[in-house]
Amino acid sequence: MLNALWVVLLGMAIIFAVLGVLLLVMTFLDRLVRPKEKKEER
Amino acid sequence: MNILGGEFLGFLNLNWQAAAMLVISGVLMWLGIARKVEPVLLVPIGAGCMLANIPLGGAAEPGGFLAILREAGIHTEIFPLLIFIGVGAMIDFEPFLQRPYTILLGAAAQFGIFGTFFLAYLLGDGWLHILDFSLQDAASIGIIGSADGPTSIFVSTTLQSKYTAAIVVAAYSYMAMVPIIQPPIIKAMCSKEERALKMPIVAGTISQRTKILFPIITVLVVGLICPKATPLIGCLMFGNLLRECGAVESLSRTAQNEMVNIVTMLLGITVGGMMAGTEFLRPETILVFVMGIVAFSLDTVAGVLLGKLMCVLSGRKVNPMIGACGISAFPMSSRVVQKLGLEANPYNHLLMNAAGANVAGQIASVVAGGVMLMLVPMFI
Repeated sequence: MLNALWVVLLGMAIIFAVLGVLLLVMTFLDRLVRPKEKKEER
Repeated sequence: MNILGGEFLGFLNLNWQAAAMLVISGVLMWLGIARKVEPVLLVPIGAGCMLANIPLGGAAEPGGFLAILREAGIHTEIFPLLIFIGVGAMIDFEPFLQRPYTILLGAAAQFGIFGTFFLAYLLGDGWLHILDFSLQDAASIGIIGSADGPTSIFVSTTLQSKYTAAIVVAAYSYMAMVPIIQPPIIKAMCSKEERALKMPIVAGTISQRTKILFPIITVLVVGLICPKATPLIGCLMFGNLLRECGAVESLSRTAQNEMVNIVTMLLGITVGGMMAGTEFLRPETILVFVMGIVAFSLDTVAGVLLGKLMCVLSGRKVNPMIGACGISAFPMSSRVVQKLGLEANPYNHLLMNAAGANVAGQIASVVAGGVMLMLVPMFI
């Protein structure tokens, strides 16, 4: 029973961690790519 | 020659389980053909079920063509992965990339998987021992909450669950039932004022470079943290790369059409072939279907709850309903939220916001599948 509880808690924590990292990386990437495009526009 | 009892006259060898499954196969085909409920899947599943339950037919027995297909496509996990290439090629991630915060709604909506897993294990080997649910079975049942057929097949096959066929049928059937399952829950959780809440229009488009880098980075991030999800996320994002890179139009078209259609047909008939009466007709199978509803409901509740939190934290710039789209039932869930938004406010168009959360849910459900495959063997 305790095992199952661990799976639930760890599972949700890992999902939020993985997707949180992905969110951060994508936000960073967006900033990295965007200025170059603006320069081209100017 | 023993004509009556031997390899002749199949109906004389028909037992009640096989007869019941022939009726169920008829219902599945009727749902697909007459009611248009996921016809692409339910018609092949119904046909496979019928073939597997004809006595002495041997289609699903060792050496039979359904058994060969099962060995080649399901046990090796090739079919769900090929389907994921097609799904990836079909999905436009732009609504998500414009609103990257929706990935958190996708994460929250995976709670249905873990909540249902916990409940199934509680009823099975975990505590009450009422049902024959091992830890692997409970995890496979929970994965119905991913609202994602290929992920359900991949996880339940890898964990070698006894209920793979029921799980797959439940996963695909409930996806079609999203417009019935979700609205009452959303309405119960969100007031009319909340449902009418308009979201700001997101200006600007996503650059081609970002769209190309997104699948590559997603595979690297997800794969390096949660390696068990690599086959699923790898195939999904490979398909998306074919779509977005612009260099392989013909491959992208093939993945979206011919390949996905062929594999879906083979997958459907093979899953149907796994529905042999003697194995399928047990009380646990019915409970698997009940658990499927629980999983979808918990997904919706968890998604909307995080949506409500985001609504408060953003100063009411996020409509909490889009949290319900965190399940990956794309595009049904987005349509449900768009409809409910328009009912509450005729000028409230939430479709693109909902689609953002919906495709984010697709990624989240794959990660959840990988997490299950990583954690469950650690606790067996």
